[in-house]
Amino acid sequence: MALAISAAETFPDLELPDHDGIVRTLSELAAGDPIVLHTARGYWCPKEQTFARRVLVPLQDEAEVAYARFVTLSTDPPETSRAFRAGLGARWPFLCDTEHAYVEALGLRETTDTVHKIYAPYAFVLRPDLVVQHTWIGYWFWGRPTAEELRQELRAATRSLRPDWDLP
Amino acid sequence: MSGWAWLVAGAERLGGASAAAEATDKHGKQLWVQGFPAGARPHPAAVRVDRRVFDPRGEAARVSLVLLEEQRCPLFDDPAVSQALRDVLSGPAVDAVSTLTRDPVHCAGGVTIVRDGRDLRDDPFRRLGAQRVLAVGPGVFGRSPLTVAPVTQRYAGQPWPADRFDGAA
Repeated sequence: MALAISAAETFPDLELPDHDGIVRTLSELAAGDPIVLHTARGYWCPKEQTFARRVLVPLQDEAEVAYARFVTLSTDPPETSRAFRAGLGARWPFLCDTEHAYVEALGLRETTDTVHKIYAPYAFVLRPDLVVQHTWIGYWFWGRPTAEELRQELRAATRSLRPDWDLP
Repeated sequence: MSGWAWLVAGAERLGGASAAAEATDKHGKQLWVQGFPAGARPHPAAVRVDRRVFDPRGEAARVSLVLLEEQRCPLFDDPAVSQALRDVLSGPAVDAVSTLTRDPVHCAGGVTIVRDGRDLRDDPFRRLGAQRVLAVGPGVFGRSPLTVAPVTQRYAGQPWPADRFDGAA
């Protein structure tokens, strides 16, 4: 898979409906904080369910006090994403690229699925200006980030963003 | 640019409001709901709110207002408040929502704005104190989807869900 976005490049400011059908942009969802952006095959994928349940959902309890945002991106429609989100107990937005506006343009399509146009499982840590800090390719499950890896990248991003990191 | 504004809900219409509308509660009692820009406190009963809830062109709305008496305000970081924020984040979308504050330490309640027929008894802020469900006229509340997920912390003491530190882009 040829990823169209590399580290240190700027991730496009996606404009897509979320799980409630409200159109959002990635920059709006970032505001001034780093983001964990996770591209998911779909709610039906057991690897996505495991990654969300074992890594992202527990980590959101830290992100909620750490000024870090999460976003999940898939081609599932809003009503499906809303149900998946509720079933997981996720408290972050799920963006819905149901019209496949970005999946090919970003070079993120899972090409081994020749029937559906779905996202391959990537994870990115983006700075608030959407510059890619780190990328993980989760095509094989162990390629996905661990919670600790995400913590370390969020630590690095936050350290570079907060001028009072070493105490004011 | 500060992310907060003042909210005043009371019998008196005040001058200088940037957004204002009449409201009626379930008992038929009428009051004014008014928004004022950040700055000097416009009224002793004024509370701070995320400024994005206000829109002088906003349509009429149904509002759940939980406005706690000063002596009944929990610490903002009280687990009851934190869990209410988590429930707001994981719950169905509303047109706008904000916590209310009088000082940097306590939570004075919450305001939730909807324009559909949902049961506002589900408002997570209701666990903090008495709720008033209001029919609010046009001209005060707008639409502001949450942007802060999953963060439940305040940014420099601004009312949640103000979503960035002052000066952040």
